[in-house]
Amino acid sequence: MARKPTEDPQLDMTPMIDVVFELIIFFVITIKQQDIMSRLNANRPAPASASEHTKDDPPLEIEVGKAYGSFRKGVYVYNGKSLKLEVLDKYLKDVADLSTDKQIVVKCTLDSPHKGLVDLLDVCYKHKLTNVSIFSM
Amino acid sequence: MARKPQDNPQLDMTPMIDVVFELIIFFVVTLTEAQKKDETIELSNGQHGMVITADSLPAEHMQIDIAAFDKDGRRLAKPRISMGDRDMTPMDVYNRVMDRKEKYGPEFPVLIRADFETPHAAVKDVMDACTKAGIWKISFMAVAEDKTDGKLRPGFFTGKRKKGN
Repeated sequence: MARKPTEDPQLDMTPMIDVVFELIIFFVITIKQQDIMSRLNANRPAPASASEHTKDDPPLEIEVGKAYGSFRKGVYVYNGKSLKLEVLDKYLKDVADLSTDKQIVVKCTLDSPHKGLVDLLDVCYKHKLTNVSIFSM
Repeated sequence: MARKPQDNPQLDMTPMIDVVFELIIFFVVTLTEAQKKDETIELSNGQHGMVITADSLPAEHMQIDIAAFDKDGRRLAKPRISMGDRDMTPMDVYNRVMDRKEKYGPEFPVLIRADFETPHAAVKDVMDACTKAGIWKISFMAVAEDKTDGKLRPGFFTGKRKKGN
């Protein structure tokens, strides 16, 4: 005897849609976008590196200290003068215009905030000055 | 004998519910794993550095965290050095670097993820440990693009951190 086809069986989608929406809401709330990170490379000077520089091309030395009254800010000393980062930025641009191979020596005092060092490295990288060494004092 | 057509075919939802629960458990577990990184660390801006992507760092790279504040926003008397979840002393860092150097050679990248308010002395301790182990090239982690709250940092704080020196 011929089999009678089943009459268009309906699948109830409601619970599935409920669950999917539930999941979407859960992930939208819990997942937060991550920051994009960067890295700034620097060298620690090898013990012998001090003698490597010739007198003709001494490295450019910048000191990073603690800003008076605020631990959140770094303060920079270049050529015996205390400078803001914006001013240093201009100096470093001039240096980079001559040569991006110039060695920069960053001397950090032990109480200087890490921000001081990273901000300075960032400015160096901005001008493609990547030959940076870090001394700690 | 004629088969009676099914009037109301039932769908067995059990496997779907199983799978959904499976998925929920998987994501909850992986999310908590991913969030284990030290959230108390706020980084400086460094939009000119090399952007870190999943494949820009070799698998053997090493990341050392230095936190200057605890979870309640109080400045730590001594910055906390850690790797993954484990607290470290500079000596532990030295041992880890030595292990990795023996395994992969001296060229693996060492990344320091230090809070922007960390005193340089703590960063120096970690750098010295690396130098002692023969790693001269150090990378510092910074924020290339802030996606979390769209605010420029540092200067804007989460509110948890107490003001003052």
